[in-house]
Amino acid sequence: MLSPERLALPDYEYLAQRHVLTYMEDAVCQLLENREDISQYGIARFFTEYFNSVCQGTHILFREFSFVQATPHNRVSFLRAFWRCFRTVGKNGDLLTMKEYHCLLQLLCPDFPLELTQKAARIVLMDDAMDCLMSFSDFLFAFQIQFYYSEFLDSVAAIYEDLLSGKNPNTVIVPTSSSGQHRQRPALGEAGMLEGVEASLFYQCLENLCDRHKYSCPPPALVKEALSNVQRLTFYGFLMALSKHHGINQALGALPDKGDLMHDPAMDEELERLLAQVPGLVNSVTASPEASCLPSRTPPRVGSPWRPLHHHSRKVDGESDGSTEETDESET
Amino acid sequence: MIPGKYRSVSGRAANNVNCGLHLVIQTSSLPEKNKVEFKLNKDTSSFPGRLLQHDLERNYSSRQGDHINLVSSSLSSFPILQRSSEEKILYSDRLSLERQKLTVCPIINGEDHLRLLNFQHNFITRIQNISNLQKLISLDLYDNQIEEISGLSTLRCLRVLLLGKNRIKKISNLENLKSLDVLDLHGNQITKIENINHLCELRVLNLARNFLSHVDNLNGLDSLTELNLRHNQITFVRDVDNLPCLQHLFLSFNNISSFDSVSCLADSSSLSDITFDGNPIAQESWYKHTVLQNMMQLRQLDMKRITEEERRMASVLAKKEEEKKRESHKQSLLKEKKRLTINNVARQWDLQQQRVANIATNEDRKDSDSPQDPCQIDGSTLSAFPEETGPLDSGLNNALQGLSVIDTYLVEVDGDTLSLYGSGALESLDRNWSVQTAGMITTVSFTFIEFDEIVQVLPKLKIKFPNSLHLKFKETNLVMLQQFNALAQLRRIDQLTIDPQGNPVVNFTLWKYYVLFRLSHFSMQKINGTEVTQNDMIMAERLFGILAHVASSELPQYRLISILGDARKKQFRYLLESKGKKPGIINEENNDSKRLVGENTNRATLNYTTRDFYNEKLEELQRRKLCSIYLDGAHRKAEETTYLHNNTTLRSFKRF
Repeated sequence: MLSPERLALPDYEYLAQRHVLTYMEDAVCQLLENREDISQYGIARFFTEYFNSVCQGTHILFREFSFVQATPHNRVSFLRAFWRCFRTVGKNGDLLTMKEYHCLLQLLCPDFPLELTQKAARIVLMDDAMDCLMSFSDFLFAFQIQFYYSEFLDSVAAIYEDLLSGKNPNTVIVPTSSSGQHRQRPALGEAGMLEGVEASLFYQCLENLCDRHKYSCPPPALVKEALSNVQRLTFYGFLMALSKHHGINQALGALPDKGDLMHDPAMDEELERLLAQVPGLVNSVTASPEASCLPSRTPPRVGSPWRPLHHHSRKVDGESDGSTEETDESET
Repeated sequence: MIPGKYRSVSGRAANNVNCGLHLVIQTSSLPEKNKVEFKLNKDTSSFPGRLLQHDLERNYSSRQGDHINLVSSSLSSFPILQRSSEEKILYSDRLSLERQKLTVCPIINGEDHLRLLNFQHNFITRIQNISNLQKLISLDLYDNQIEEISGLSTLRCLRVLLLGKNRIKKISNLENLKSLDVLDLHGNQITKIENINHLCELRVLNLARNFLSHVDNLNGLDSLTELNLRHNQITFVRDVDNLPCLQHLFLSFNNISSFDSVSCLADSSSLSDITFDGNPIAQESWYKHTVLQNMMQLRQLDMKRITEEERRMASVLAKKEEEKKRESHKQSLLKEKKRLTINNVARQWDLQQQRVANIATNEDRKDSDSPQDPCQIDGSTLSAFPEETGPLDSGLNNALQGLSVIDTYLVEVDGDTLSLYGSGALESLDRNWSVQTAGMITTVSFTFIEFDEIVQVLPKLKIKFPNSLHLKFKETNLVMLQQFNALAQLRRIDQLTIDPQGNPVVNFTLWKYYVLFRLSHFSMQKINGTEVTQNDMIMAERLFGILAHVASSELPQYRLISILGDARKKQFRYLLESKGKKPGIINEENNDSKRLVGENTNRATLNYTTRDFYNEKLEELQRRKLCSIYLDGAHRKAEETTYLHNNTTLRSFKRF
């Protein structure tokens, strides 16, 4: 954190990179909105709470979409919150439609736009029938790519269209001789004959794109890895490859690996406790529910290989000062 | 040989025959073997008579007999009948050829003064060879195989014609039989009453066991007293009121199902005896008193005398029927009115939905059109129905329905159900409902109203209708799961019915579990008619429990404040703490606290703000953002100075 490079940047660039101003603005807004209540216990404490929640990733809960997508950190927090809250739905084995996932998204963010969900669904369904059912993990990983890298993906789409129609945005690097399959300007009618675009050419365009937009694009090395074993690819094929790539997922740091997607021992413990409180319950809560098609997995005793990016809220509160009332997490 | 049923009741015997229709031709016991006896009536006088049956048989079997001569004429292959002269003198006016196995009518010579002729029980197919018997009064062809009425045109004196049990398909060729008194055509294949209108002396007409489907064309039968139509397929009767003397009408075993189809009977003043048994109408509960009420002149129904008591009963019942009819007419009027109103509301709803959809898709054409239509509807109909003011209950009393109708919305109270159609109906919640009526309401149904609008009146509902336990929503635009959060503010819900029509949220496979989860403190019994099981509750908790946990324990305090409001926040905090400290005793405490707080606390933050309200909030936020940018500008200036200062300090430090 405390690297000398940060001192090398001019002030506004530094602030912009860390989105400090965004959070400051938002904090002040929240303060103004609730000034009567907050004034009771002090502004300093409010700011502490606010930035704590930013660190924990809970600041985006039930906030408006414009805030949720404002910064990469917000996006990551949102993805993680969505995963944590609705992992149980996925664990239950239900396959849901795009609209149903959108419903769940709206529970966390009431004005989440439908088109984003639609775009995510298109990745999973490869632009096919939009009413198809999707599994939780498929959708989540595709949604991650779509949501976190939305601007990047828009540019990629534009590049793809250009390449499809034969225009090459990169006039500088055009290896005409090395790849015999490269078609300079296919007539529009022939565009359908060869599926998609040539992989290596595509990658080169992406690389240039990444250079131009330093933030919020997947690490080029990983992208290259994803494209390594294909000759040609379609747009949605590319996105699908991105969403399935473990490295990119880990680089993002929001979600666990696909294999561990259903594992969250801490939350499962919490859930068991909640289930015990369902009124009138006599039987053991680990009895598998009738409606699930997959048997629910009991949380493994083995520690999850995935390390939370942010410390669990309990530990953080233990360290924080002054906010003793908040440590209801000590209810364990 | 006339069967006894033709005994004339009135005893009118206008013919020269001895006992009127009391005709019997009977032979006394004959010393010969082949005697024939006809005993149809008990009190018949015996006429000694002989029948040359023996001879006829011999003749028929084409054995040459002593007394019969075959006329060797090319025309006829008919047997020729001859009787001995003694018989001719003894029974000069009557001849019986019953059961003679005749297939044709024999030629009867020298008997032109014959008055009674009996051909019963033979196999005759055509009426022939009797045109010379111009004095004939009674002709009996019962039980033969005659297919067509013919050969009677010279029998102008004929009074009794018996053609029962033949194969006659059509009534015809009776033109000259103007003196006919009895016409028996029972047991044939007649489908239509025709060609009898000239029989002005006919008194008895028997058309039983034919194929008649209706009765009409009876005019001209000015003497008809008895009409037998049993065992046909009659569905309606007409023209009976044109029969001035008709007293007995037998309609048993037909297909009459309503009194309207025999309404002409009411206008017949002469009718005193009628039968309907074996008809569908006789099975109806209103049969007897309807018939009695409509036919005051009747003395006998279905062969039973009608008593005074029965008549009285009939009129009482008829009055009741009338009353019932009036009542049901009123009811159906009300129903129709209601239906029209609902249709109107539905139409408006559809227009409104279209308008919203078109705004979303930016179609200008619709936008310009649609605002006018609702206004037109509003304008025209509001003027037609003046608004009802004042308490609703004044009209209720014992009545089942209270109805307040204005065409743009509908409010209906039906026992324990309050139904609201159209958003205008929501205002009715403001009215002065009597405690008794409001207390009886257990079900509230919303149709054609935006859910967001319903949310705003839920507090009123809670207060005014405290016993409403079952909520029904149809065409209310429930699209998001969050909208169910709004129902949490009510006191209690036992049953929830979300009609798929107009509520897209029902398409979500997990919607019921979300409802159960969010509204778990209500302990709902039924959703959409299905019982809620323990497993459902577990499932709901399993699916969404973590969401609740996140929503409650991970939100910072200031967010809790802004969502819940300060007072509830304190309760919330307290209960969360107690929940954490004593896990073992949680259940009881939780139940208690549920009753106190009325809501499972960890879900309390899952609220629903209606779209408009939400948008307003966002706008306000933007305004505030401008302020903060200004503030931040100021801060940045400060930071710049500090930073530069730090930088130079550090750089200078680094040099060392």
